[in-house]
Amino acid sequence: MGNCFKTPNADDISLLRGSDSSESSDQPIGPPPPYQERQNRVPIYHPSPNVSRPANQLSEEEQIKIAKRLGLISHLPTGVYDGSSKKGKECAICMGEFTLGESLRFLPCMHTYHKDCIDDWLMRAFTCPSCMEPVDAALLSSYGT
Amino acid sequence: MNSPLSPIDFEDKRLKIKFKLEKRLQKELQALTKDPPTGVKVDAESIYRNLSEWIVDIDGAPESLYEGEKFKLMFKFGSRYPFDSPQVMFIGENIPLHPHVYSNGHICLSILTDDWSPALSVQSVCLSVVSMLSSCKEKKRPPDNSFYVKTCSKNPKKTRWWYHGK
Repeated sequence: MGNCFKTPNADDISLLRGSDSSESSDQPIGPPPPYQERQNRVPIYHPSPNVSRPANQLSEEEQIKIAKRLGLISHLPTGVYDGSSKKGKECAICMGEFTLGESLRFLPCMHTYHKDCIDDWLMRAFTCPSCMEPVDAALLSSYGT
Repeated sequence: MNSPLSPIDFEDKRLKIKFKLEKRLQKELQALTKDPPTGVKVDAESIYRNLSEWIVDIDGAPESLYEGEKFKLMFKFGSRYPFDSPQVMFIGENIPLHPHVYSNGHICLSILTDDWSPALSVQSVCLSVVSMLSSCKEKKRPPDNSFYVKTCSKNPKKTRWWYHGK
């Protein structure tokens, strides 16, 4: 415990890098961003919506918050759009339609988004953008049943 | 083989985000021009020239205290829209006299800061503003108007709003 934020594993590092590709897992795992020397490469985090801070300026509390989110996000199911979705065909975040082969993420409230889009939001707030349902509460109750 | 966060990855991600943002704004603009809610109008011509700043015309709803009045709402979108909320304020000659609207055009409305969600849009913000106006019972400025207007930042998002009621 304690420094879980700084210990990279395959899941965490893909999110830390910005999670914009599904191939990221076959890239070599390097040191986590807080240790990057070049100032302009320090990733920006958003401990809450409308707040942006470089990784090296996060308070300890914010680091823990973000580490927890990374962990929780990795528990949310993902999939690939195969055209068979009965409900939403559009991502409410980018307002783009799902196209075949795109990575999606499914929230416990049954709302579906592009994986990149929703992960960017969940790193700021742990609620579903469409129904405002807290994702962690729903996640815990879905384990309970 | 790339090293993590190489400058190319970084640039690539920034471009992707910029592309998505522009696509979303264009979609919103299309929807709003094609099928605008009553009392809401955008000047699409002016916006296509600069997608990051919109001016929306709002009509006071019939049978409300603002019936017959016309207002202008300005939206400014930062590079993190829709993850960050847009800057929204009234501009122009006629700033509605309303307990949640300051005389400099700033609006005290929770969805514009704390309760923002990326599933909200220009359209939903306009509708919230119209309904905020429509539910007004007495035309007056917020009690702290003169102090706020003297001391606030130009950007309403820099204000720490205290939301009363709903």
